[in-house]
Amino acid sequence: MKYKKYEYSADEDLHIYEFTSIGIKGEIKKVVEYSEMNIDGYYNLAFGDFDEINNEINDKIITNNGDSLKVLTTVASTVYAFTGKYPKAKIFATGSTEVRTRLYRMGITNNLVEIQVDFNVYGLKEDYMFEEFIVGEDYIGFLIVRKTMNYGN
Amino acid sequence: MEINELNEAKIPLVRINKKLNRFKGKILFEKKLQGANKLLLRAKLPTELSIEKKQ
Repeated sequence: MKYKKYEYSADEDLHIYEFTSIGIKGEIKKVVEYSEMNIDGYYNLAFGDFDEINNEINDKIITNNGDSLKVLTTVASTVYAFTGKYPKAKIFATGSTEVRTRLYRMGITNNLVEIQVDFNVYGLKEDYMFEEFIVGEDYIGFLIVRKTMNYGN
Repeated sequence: MEINELNEAKIPLVRINKKLNRFKGKILFEKKLQGANKLLLRAKLPTELSIEKKQ
């Protein structure tokens, strides 16, 4: 990834990742989770703020910590880590709000050339059809599948 | 593996935090997972990806 990312840690299965966003509003703990879906081999990627006091996750809060690019790059890095351990996993992601889904789209668009070296990227259209990700198209979700070949180490 | 190779590796080295194992078996983003499952249930998956639906 060409952008800076936060250091993160994970559980032993590499299903859950944790890092700290540091920005204009201070330090905010973030959690990324890969959950098995109802279709074999498919995992849902979700992330949000972790409220350590109440031990709760909030994936709708708009933190505005001024580091959304760095946060997205960190989440993208976990995709590499997760698929490093589970190369056949198909990762589905959708935003908790339309704004956040557009943010995901922007993140994919900004890194598409680099991402497509290692992954096939699909967008889910409003008619529930997947297509290969096209820059500028509106999508309600994204599917990322590691290519068998061309994956470094 | 040499340090240079580690630095250039695409798959990042991940620090394991055993405290996170407390979440094992739990779903942290349950509503989001439910929503995603609903979306994929209606979706026509890419034909090149073979699937096996659980339900």
